[in-house]
Amino acid sequence: MSNATATIDADVVPAPGWRWRTHFDRLLVAVVIVALWQVGSMIFGVYWLSTPWATTSRFFAMLFSGELIRHSGYTIEESFIGAVIGGVPAVILPFVLRRSPILVSILDPFMVGGYGSPKLALAPLFILWFGIGLESKIALVASVLFFIVYFSTLTGVRALDAKLVQMAQVMGASEQQLARKIIFPAAVPNIFAGFRIGLPYAIGAAVITELISSNRGLGYLVQVGAMNFDTTQCFVAILAATIIVHAVGFGVDGTERLLLRWRPSSEATLQAGGN
Amino acid sequence: MTTIDQATTLLEREPPISRKTIVIMGRAALAVLLVIGWQAGAETFGSIFFAYPMDVVRRLIELTVSGQVFVDLYATLRVSTIGFVLGTVAGVLLPFLLRRSKRWTEAIEPYVLGSQGIPKYALAPWLILWFGIGDTPKLVIVTAMVFYIPFVNVFAGIRGVDQRLVKMARIVGASETKISREVIWNSLMPFFFTSLKIALPRAVSACIVGEFLVSTEGVGHYIEHARELSDTVGVFAGIVVATTLVLAVNGIVEYLERRALAWRPTDRDMVL
Amino acid sequence: MNAPLLEVRNLAKRFPTRAGREPSPWVIRDLTFAVREGEFLTIIGPSGAGKSTLLNMIAQVESASAGEILFQGSQIGLGDSKAMRPGLDRRVGYVTQDDNLLPWRTTIDNVLFPLEVQGQLDDKSRAHAQMLVDAVGLKGFERYYPHELSGGMRKRAALIRTLVYDPPVILMDEPFGAVDAQTRMQLQEDLLRLWTLGRKTIVFVTHDITEAILLGDRALVLTKQPSRIGAEHIITIPRPRNVKSFLTMPGFAEIYERIRAEVL
Repeated sequence: MSNATATIDADVVPAPGWRWRTHFDRLLVAVVIVALWQVGSMIFGVYWLSTPWATTSRFFAMLFSGELIRHSGYTIEESFIGAVIGGVPAVILPFVLRRSPILVSILDPFMVGGYGSPKLALAPLFILWFGIGLESKIALVASVLFFIVYFSTLTGVRALDAKLVQMAQVMGASEQQLARKIIFPAAVPNIFAGFRIGLPYAIGAAVITELISSNRGLGYLVQVGAMNFDTTQCFVAILAATIIVHAVGFGVDGTERLLLRWRPSSEATLQAGGN
Repeated sequence: MTTIDQATTLLEREPPISRKTIVIMGRAALAVLLVIGWQAGAETFGSIFFAYPMDVVRRLIELTVSGQVFVDLYATLRVSTIGFVLGTVAGVLLPFLLRRSKRWTEAIEPYVLGSQGIPKYALAPWLILWFGIGDTPKLVIVTAMVFYIPFVNVFAGIRGVDQRLVKMARIVGASETKISREVIWNSLMPFFFTSLKIALPRAVSACIVGEFLVSTEGVGHYIEHARELSDTVGVFAGIVVATTLVLAVNGIVEYLERRALAWRPTDRDMVL
Repeated sequence: MNAPLLEVRNLAKRFPTRAGREPSPWVIRDLTFAVREGEFLTIIGPSGAGKSTLLNMIAQVESASAGEILFQGSQIGLGDSKAMRPGLDRRVGYVTQDDNLLPWRTTIDNVLFPLEVQGQLDDKSRAHAQMLVDAVGLKGFERYYPHELSGGMRKRAALIRTLVYDPPVILMDEPFGAVDAQTRMQLQEDLLRLWTLGRKTIVFVTHDITEAILLGDRALVLTKQPSRIGAEHIITIPRPRNVKSFLTMPGFAEIYERIRAEVL
């Protein structure tokens, strides 16, 4: 009898010492991971698996020498410009099309097809077209982000409560005022969700294009590292990329929280899908 | 003043062309426009950048006749499927195992979420170093990419399980395994299927992309190889095959879902 | 001389029939009534009698199938959705059943919304808005978001949002339906007080007979579908009316019984 209660309670109320224990556990897991990593590199050799220490020290070395910043900068630049080129039309289009459900219907299979198709498969094509410079990466990032943001925004625009629009119309709002004051604010959460989900993909797209063909960027660093059996450099670049992805996510979440203070807290966003 | 009878005719009057027809015609028109644009693009930019539609069609026929396309499709699907299975199994098992221990869950949760931020493709060169050019690097990448989808969904699903049902089951004496199997698994079903639906096309996609970097076969390899040879027609043809493949997989999965869940009153769709 | 401000003649509405099906039933048919300026008119009808549809047509957000609506003597466009002007160029205000507050705006920004849209935002109108906010007891809650307000508070905000731009006619669609009895009484009090200050013309639709008698100068009873005006009752109970002791006011019980017999 008492056993049953114990297990039930364990799910509901955490015991007082909980916070510290969780931090300790997490630290423990971190130590274990690093230990395994170290052991692994000792077994397999540094050429195959760099050591934790080597990775960390090289990370900071490259950071302070500016090299890491330079290459990260390229990757970020590509992602950012691509996100703007792909994201802005993707946000605008549903608003423009709002008044014409027929046009939306006509476009729908093309958009769905574009969304479902492997945009990353276009990477070689863009490299063929634009060469190994920035443009090919930007093109791919834009393609990837466009469809994701388009559908998120479209959902937001469609899900709009028609009664709010009606209320504003009764008060004399013009089409423009409706778009600016009602439809856009209502769609903002969805637009954010679109970017939140799409940006990791975008950064991944930039990296992957760099891996195939580039002379700069984090993907380039990984590729060169591997070619020179310099796994340390590989790891440093991968680590930098991961940090960037998380930082961007953090930034988007933070901005969202700021702009969406008006939302009741029960609306949670769940993200699925890896990078 | 509109009389009742006039009102009847006013309302009953159907538009001359039904909306459905307009939409279908519009789509056809857009498709034709795209092909024309493609042709125009080829003529303007030259065949180095833009393969002529007819050439691409011819190449596709060649590839089909020679069987090359099937060899590549098989290679891609082989790795995608295995990766999909591995990733899904791991992605489903782990949340269930973690369910038993809140402590373990909290301990490793940040690391799993943290690892989600790693751009998996970036691991490819390092994996090639280890395993050479073959199936394994692609497999690892596909598995890694697939893993997170069911993991996040199943995890959320488990957390979302009505705790009252679980408590009830415990009180009547059900073992943890029984609870896992009955209460949780059933509550989980919609999340699970949604994640499968997303994961399979994603797996194929990931495999194709992986093949850009590491391969001697597969659809992705064909595209990248063509690019290296400046075989623009090949690049275009390969992209057509890749797109068709992924869209087809998508379509099949959607069809299966519709069939399997036809009886369901509500749709619990998680976006992406 | 005292021409009605708003007149509805032989209004009819039915929803479009699908091709090849039976013609859909008339929701409203042959509905006629008039409202004088400064009058508080209540319309009683069971749920589903087309009350909201009627108000939607007057507010020009829904088209009528037949009949006329006259505002200040001139006919307003019907049946043709292109000619409709929602809110009749702000001469008709509409307080709906859902408060329809914009969730991303604070209370005060919600109340100021119509002024913003109409380009009427200045110190004077802001002061007017603040006065209304104070009048309904929302003082101090100006910076709150709708989800932080209670149901009753949201209703009040929605109410003054319409009052703030002073439309000559205000339509109300069971605005106090979804709140508890206590809050409803408070809201009714607030409404009466505000109305006494401004003497607007109000068309108030409800299914609650007591509310209809309490608030109105005149109460119209709507029949079941196809709805028309079944009966008209002048509410002779003198103003100002005390909401809390209303049930015991002389004359209430008889009017109530009369109306109830018709509605049933």
